[in-house]
Amino acid sequence: MSKGMRKYFKKKIFWFVITFIAAVILNFILPRLMPGDPVNAIVGKSVSPGASQEQIQEQIAFYKQQFGLDKSIFGQFFDFVKNAVNGTFGVSYSQYPRTVSDIIGSGIWWTIALQLPAILVGWILGNVLGALAAYLRKAFDKVLMPVSLFFSAIPAFGMAVILLVIFAVNLKVAPVNGAYDAGLIPKFTPSFIANVIWHYQLPFWSIVLISIGGQAVGMRSMSIYELNADYVKYARFLGIKDRRIVRYVFRNAMLPQVTGLAMSIGSMVGGALVAETIFSYPGLGMAMYNAIVSSDYPVISATTLIITIMVLLASFTLDIIYAFIDPRVKAAQFD
Amino acid sequence: MKSTLRNIFHSPRFVVGFVIFMAMVLTVLIYPYFVPRDPLVSIGKGFLAPGTYLSVYDANNTSTYRIDLPEAAANRMGSLLTAEDRKTMLDFLTVMGADTEGLDLSDDSVNDLIALWKSSYDEENVRTSKYEGFSTKAQRNKLKRLDTKLSGSDSAGAMTVVSGEGDAAESRAVADTDYVKVNEVANALNLPLGTDNFGRDMLTELVSATGTSLIIGLIAGTIATLLGLLVGLLAGYVGGLLDDILMFIANIFTVIPGFVLLILIYYSVGQEARGVTTCAIVIGLTSWVWTARSVRSQVISLRNRDHVNLSKLSGHSLFRIIITDILPYIASYVVMAFILQVSSGILAEAQLSLLGLGPKTTVVPTLGLMMNWAKLFGAYTSSNAWWAYFPVILVIALTSFSLNLMNTGLDQVFNPTLRD
Amino acid sequence: MAKYMLEVKDLTTKYITRNREDVYSVDHVSLTIEEGKSLGIAGESGCGKSTLALSLMGYYFPPLHYTSGSIIIDGKNISGMDPDTVRKNVLGSEVAYIPQAAMNAMNPTRKVGKFIEDVMKAHEIKMSKKEIRQMAKERFALLGLPVEALDKYSVELSGGMRQRVVIAVSTILNPKVLIADEPSSALDVTSQKMVIKMLKDMMAKGLVKSMIFITHELPLLYNVTDDIMVMYAGQIVERGSAKEMVFDPVHPYSRGLMRSILVPEEGTRDVKLTAIPGTPPNLKHPPAGCRFAERCRYATPNCRDYSVPMTDLGGGRCYRCNFSAEELREVYQRED
Repeated sequence: MSKGMRKYFKKKIFWFVITFIAAVILNFILPRLMPGDPVNAIVGKSVSPGASQEQIQEQIAFYKQQFGLDKSIFGQFFDFVKNAVNGTFGVSYSQYPRTVSDIIGSGIWWTIALQLPAILVGWILGNVLGALAAYLRKAFDKVLMPVSLFFSAIPAFGMAVILLVIFAVNLKVAPVNGAYDAGLIPKFTPSFIANVIWHYQLPFWSIVLISIGGQAVGMRSMSIYELNADYVKYARFLGIKDRRIVRYVFRNAMLPQVTGLAMSIGSMVGGALVAETIFSYPGLGMAMYNAIVSSDYPVISATTLIITIMVLLASFTLDIIYAFIDPRVKAAQFD
Repeated sequence: MKSTLRNIFHSPRFVVGFVIFMAMVLTVLIYPYFVPRDPLVSIGKGFLAPGTYLSVYDANNTSTYRIDLPEAAANRMGSLLTAEDRKTMLDFLTVMGADTEGLDLSDDSVNDLIALWKSSYDEENVRTSKYEGFSTKAQRNKLKRLDTKLSGSDSAGAMTVVSGEGDAAESRAVADTDYVKVNEVANALNLPLGTDNFGRDMLTELVSATGTSLIIGLIAGTIATLLGLLVGLLAGYVGGLLDDILMFIANIFTVIPGFVLLILIYYSVGQEARGVTTCAIVIGLTSWVWTARSVRSQVISLRNRDHVNLSKLSGHSLFRIIITDILPYIASYVVMAFILQVSSGILAEAQLSLLGLGPKTTVVPTLGLMMNWAKLFGAYTSSNAWWAYFPVILVIALTSFSLNLMNTGLDQVFNPTLRD
Repeated sequence: MAKYMLEVKDLTTKYITRNREDVYSVDHVSLTIEEGKSLGIAGESGCGKSTLALSLMGYYFPPLHYTSGSIIIDGKNISGMDPDTVRKNVLGSEVAYIPQAAMNAMNPTRKVGKFIEDVMKAHEIKMSKKEIRQMAKERFALLGLPVEALDKYSVELSGGMRQRVVIAVSTILNPKVLIADEPSSALDVTSQKMVIKMLKDMMAKGLVKSMIFITHELPLLYNVTDDIMVMYAGQIVERGSAKEMVFDPVHPYSRGLMRSILVPEEGTRDVKLTAIPGTPPNLKHPPAGCRFAERCRYATPNCRDYSVPMTDLGGGRCYRCNFSAEELREVYQRED
């Protein structure tokens, strides 16, 4: 490892740590700025109508103590960090006494199972289409470009709603919401898995269709940029076959596209919000949405913390991978 | 400058995008002069399908014209019988062995179908024969209802209109050949997009919402672009510690994705303060990051150009160098970034509102709020009222489409290597 | 007489613009180069010298198109061959090219050694990877380049090194004609010198049989090439030995070109630097007569109306002007 490389990584790690700390603090503070006292809301629900003022006060004091809200803001922050480190993330306000880690644990797999394949499929299809558009140009490009520009202009929720209406409401070939039928109990039986796959289609394709457009547009302009590069002309005049030159071009155009892939994987929880709320898919996005609506700080903090860590890790890994796989970045960073 | 403008307007993509966008802006500006109705006033009850609505009362009091249309009776029957009704009739006739040769579900054969039905259907016969598929009581009742429906509408000749309350005096008979002229009816309402769940005219609401959303996009885009430009210029040109600090802030904004941050900040503002302007400002404040990054990298590449060094040597102030030696070189880029920011601002508002975090307003609608209402009141599930959400999605898509087109058009003009 | 390595007869190529207009950037160009000789081509930017370089490769892709004429390399006419044959049998091995923007000429994500492998494979040369590597190593050593460069990406090399590596890669198949398009113009002076030395060296070692060197820097040509040719608006206006062209240019344009640049040799000390007024004609609509007439101070109406043929002065010297060489020299002497 060269000296420049070591310096580069040291700097990266330094900023990684600093950003992480700042993000943790923000994740703690921001949700607590939200209006509405969650304890009052819980007590209002749990206390019997005839309870006296003292009983209510007692209840409030009980919950405040349970949630650690009687401590100073620093004490609360300390608890937050402690709970984050030991992995429980504290107790949910709105689903008391469920722990936050339980809520997140039940949602995160749905989100990953939904998003990861969808993002990958969308990325691959989009890049292939974009590359084709750049290479074939003329006819293909003329038709495909406006179409994918239009597709990428349809908002994610719009695509989800259109699919929902066509396939679930009108054609009735797919269910309207959920990840499996309400009456089923999750277990690994063929019928349950079939049911899950049946529910999986619409949210999956709505994410795929949305990402194809944007990826295709990006890949096309990257490829055209590379096709016009000097090395293409030089390689041609050295007698190198067109097929190999095309491989050069697409490899070089593809490398920057990896950024988009890594970032969308990193931010998939945030990206899941729209599709999951429209299809009432029981993932992390839905959990976060419910938590926001019910001022459930611990859940909000935990989900945003997960998003933060994922994005941070994604961008940090990217920096490192790029430094090795793309000599252009390598040369620019290590000098 | 002039030739740049000419080049821009020679780019087909830019022109198409510009025309679509300006058409929308003009519609938003002109429409209120033609329909000066408050976009949020309820005129109906629940989802009304698109169409022209005539006041039955006024239609009765409008002078009539006699028009003999040979297909009038068939049309009348056709609109009376749904496709499902016809299918039931056809099934029944087939089961009981009537000659249904040449009959189908289209309007053309509806008269023959009815004639055949009248000659074949007998309540008594159905009850005793227990035809296959029509043996239960519910099924027989269905047939009976159908028969009643047919005979009720069949009183060939005239229909009596009674006016006044409790007074059963016949005021006038309406013949089936009587017509009124639509624009002579005192109250006729054209609802090209129907109404939403509150019974509000969708078109008027949509036009007003488009206007509001465009304003949100413009405010958010302006804030994001100016902020991004400022941060990018300072970080890129001044560099050093300032660069590190500014990029650190930008990093935090990337790590906590803008959308999440948006929700958190927006929620902490409090429901009461959440107006259209606040919404736009918050969106702008959370989306400047990528503009700042790209401006910064462009400024860094400009920083050591000869003309900038020359200015530095001549002792020009930081402000002057930035204005005269840096800004002109990134101006085209900033314009493009602004267009994209406007488009993503409109989208951000729509997503926020869809999640119920949109502007708290009862004065003006936004595109996102309309989507939210459609969702809350089951427009795409239980009511299946496509007109309550599809036009909204279309307008959002068209807005970003036109802005993106303008952007790629500009890109082709400013970065000729991308030209085909 | 030594045999010709390159013989070009009436070569015409055109660009087809986006608006479907034809631009004849190389217009009936004829030239010859003998074995072991080098030819410099000079001219203002846009005069067609770079297009001529591309056209000489015999391998055309849009917007450049072949119109007429022939290119004969070592007795073989390549202008009628089908593109894939040209690619496999001519490019790199018969005629090789060093591009103008050599800084970015190599694929940034492919190591130099790997790229050489690709070149060999493209010409279906039966060599194992090991043999190719050995051959490349020897060649780099012969040309005084560090062998480690083979395991680097081009972006990791310095500007001068990158250019020399590109030259080494271009000539790896020992081409009969090497076409170098401004190979040194983007470099610092030291690197320029090294590049020139390397090219001369390759000629001396016989790795390259003949060379065309294109530049707008005349002093370079005087030191590098045997002959110099001046191009104007897609046509050759004068050709001669380097010495003749620098000290005794006949065509008014050549003279203007020489006088606008300092050649650091004796005898040029008292020459005043003068720019040529005006701009070259638009090749979408070339003038009917002499293409330089608009900017020529000696032009007559006759010059503007009728096209001017080449006049051969013998000994490889020729020029394109209505005035005789004597007349022109007389006028020049009077002016000095």
